Amino acid sequence: MSTVLRIENLRIETDGDTPRTLVDGVSLQVDRGESLGVVGESGSGKSLTVLAALGLLPVGTRVTGGRIVIDDRVLVDVEADVWAGERELRALRGRTAAMVFQDPMSSLDPLRAVGAQVASAVRVHAPRLSRRAARERAIDLLTSVGVRDAAERAATRPHQWSGGMRQRAMIAMAIAHDPLLLIADEPTTALDVTVQAQVMDLLAEVRDRTGSALVLITHDLGLVAENSDRLTVMHHGRVVETGATRAVLAAPAEDYTRRLMAAMPAEQERATPAVRTGEADALVAENIVVDYRVSGRKTPVRAVDGVSVRIAAGETVAVVGESGCGKSSLAKAVLGIQPAAAGTVVVGGVPVRSELAARTAAERELAQIVFQDPYSALDPRLTVHELVAEPLRIRRAYNRATVGTLLADVGLDESYAKRLPGQLSGGQRQRVGIARALALRPRLLVLDEPVSALDVSIQAQVLTLLDTLQREHGLGYLFISHDLGVVRSIADRVIVMQHGRVVEEAPTAQIFSDPQHPFTRQLLAAVPRLDGPRRTARPAAA
Amino acid sequence: MTTSLTLATAPVVRRWRPRPGAAVGALMLGTVLLLTAIVPLLPGFDPMGQDLRAALRPPFADPAHPLGTDALGRDLLSRLALASAVTLGMTVVIVIMNAVLGSLIGILAGYYGGRLEALITLVSNVTLAMPVVLLLIAICAVLRPSAGLTILVLGCTWWVGYARVTRNIAAALRRQDFVVSPLTQGGDSVWVLTRHIVPNVWPHTLIIAATDVATIVLITSSLEYLGLGVQPPVPSWGSMIFDGQRHLAGDPWLALLPGLVMLLAVGGVQFLSQQFTAETRGGLLRKGGMR
Repeated sequence: MSTVLRIENLRIETDGDTPRTLVDGVSLQVDRGESLGVVGESGSGKSLTVLAALGLLPVGTRVTGGRIVIDDRVLVDVEADVWAGERELRALRGRTAAMVFQDPMSSLDPLRAVGAQVASAVRVHAPRLSRRAARERAIDLLTSVGVRDAAERAATRPHQWSGGMRQRAMIAMAIAHDPLLLIADEPTTALDVTVQAQVMDLLAEVRDRTGSALVLITHDLGLVAENSDRLTVMHHGRVVETGATRAVLAAPAEDYTRRLMAAMPAEQERATPAVRTGEADALVAENIVVDYRVSGRKTPVRAVDGVSVRIAAGETVAVVGESGCGKSSLAKAVLGIQPAAAGTVVVGGVPVRSELAARTAAERELAQIVFQDPYSALDPRLTVHELVAEPLRIRRAYNRATVGTLLADVGLDESYAKRLPGQLSGGQRQRVGIARALALRPRLLVLDEPVSALDVSIQAQVLTLLDTLQREHGLGYLFISHDLGVVRSIADRVIVMQHGRVVEEAPTAQIFSDPQHPFTRQLLAAVPRLDGPRRTARPAAA
Repeated sequence: MTTSLTLATAPVVRRWRPRPGAAVGALMLGTVLLLTAIVPLLPGFDPMGQDLRAALRPPFADPAHPLGTDALGRDLLSRLALASAVTLGMTVVIVIMNAVLGSLIGILAGYYGGRLEALITLVSNVTLAMPVVLLLIAICAVLRPSAGLTILVLGCTWWVGYARVTRNIAAALRRQDFVVSPLTQGGDSVWVLTRHIVPNVWPHTLIIAATDVATIVLITSSLEYLGLGVQPPVPSWGSMIFDGQRHLAGDPWLALLPGLVMLLAVGGVQFLSQQFTAETRGGLLRKGGMR
């Protein structure tokens, strides 16, 4: 069996007078037809390592040690002072090794037809091919990755393609020249679980068909368990553990691997509910309808169609569903950010108007939100102290000590007060966002995918924090999520939404043990699990 | 879903690393500023006083007139100093007027959108289509040309660039969660605009303003050259060059010296503003990178 990619003792450092080591002594190897999972949290160097293999390191970083060999060609050998030139690398990219990036939304040019973009990927390494032939090949490729009516769809631009379809197009481009090596960097992180399952099926099928090797970079151990033959765990720029996927996950030898596995949301419901009886319900929303006006269309698009939610004080109700199912619109309607076209909202026993602008400040206090994206949630110019102080200042209730208490509540000590968001990690930012949301003592907290942008270990910490705060303050949580694992460990009840309607609502345990609706079953089946079914049989030795 | 667009908001000002171009720029502009600041303090400072017996003295010939005299025997060094103060002063006022007006319009258009934005876009396009210099000439044909008039006309017609850029930034900011958050806590639009939008927009305004200074210097000087703007006997770079060009054959320094000062000022500002934009561009690009 021949080795497609071999990295030995790779070291990557930043440029500059005082270089920081980002990747140190990393070795990995992928054979033909094999699938290697590279797992680690953000900053572990997993992406840098494979980018280095293609000579695509970002500006400001460089390889300072080790060897990189692709298909018996030595691309980098620092000791022997061998450095592949840009020409050699270009000839290699796309032909010998191809990459599928994380974000299918930004990897495609929004102004060009998808088919034309696939055709250019074909022509890069086959310049003699006529445009027409390239276009035909592009359509064949799109058909082969499961794009229906590829000939017609090829002429449309990316905004008319869903996330999953775009990722299929990216894969079509990557396999245009039957590469020996496919590198997929978090290929499904931006996708729904059901779509994720389809894309992973496709990658497995492509691998079977072309016999290429796959390097799957991800933070999701479940995904690796189902989709890789061997596994490399990285942490702080070093390889922690490597071995056959099944063996490593069954009996991890290293402490860090065990911690990663332990941080995965537990496959069980939370033990003691925090529901408080005798207090006003945190939220009673009835028959909520949300419409969006679309320019050029007479009838508005109905995002939420008569949904009712009731959340007791201290209760967590999760709303799950695929993107576009209306779960975020529901949250916005509760907050008034997107006024409901019909229906009533009562927060903490107080009926509030549908439009945010029509609500009094005291009414707005009752429901607060923690945003999904910890990067856009905080004004980059304000210090942590000022960020948390803002709601208090709005209500003219600012008090230095109060801000300190709020920060302490979310586990941030005095030393963080003067920092800017740019100096915080994703988890710390999310803590600041939670402290800000709690500043006005709300009855209901809307959590819009609060942990989906965080690493698993950080996820676990934030979820624990949310649980503690809920018990302390008797908060009701409206928990919007697409991650069923997270939902299982925090929610008391689950509402499953599809096409703007509720298809199933039940206590968490019941949803997971005895799902009624076919869509719920489909969602549950798509979640990657450590002990999930293997997607690929190891191909026979070549 | 985690598809999020990280907006490059306020340029992150990091360690200031001077570029060689910036040092040259600072030196050039510094010379001009020094000229305007020091010369009026010297004993022989007299930009208006005529002395026909001492007319057209060459530079470095007469200790009483270090840079010589013009056709009316007025001290050239004094006149250059006053002209620099006049032209730079006018430029600064015009740039500030446009920056404030344009950013305000752009921010309102971007934040509120809808009909207000459509109206503002229409007004911008009309303004952009207007030939400013011809407009000023037309107005001066009716009213008496003066510095104030030039400032007023230029100060109200050069804002479209600011409005366009700030509109886009404000529109992108409006969709950011940190702008929505204060609204859910009881804040109003004024709060959001003053606390979050303006502070995140103004660094961009500053960048445009820095690059605009040179343009405005050239435009006001061309207008002065045409006799629109500051009226004699008060000197300006443009009017000094106009006066000097009649003596180009015999006494070229009369036109060359104000031209040189203008070159120093415009070049200096350009070099400096490049440092400024390069610095902030680094900040903008840094976001969304690896790690």
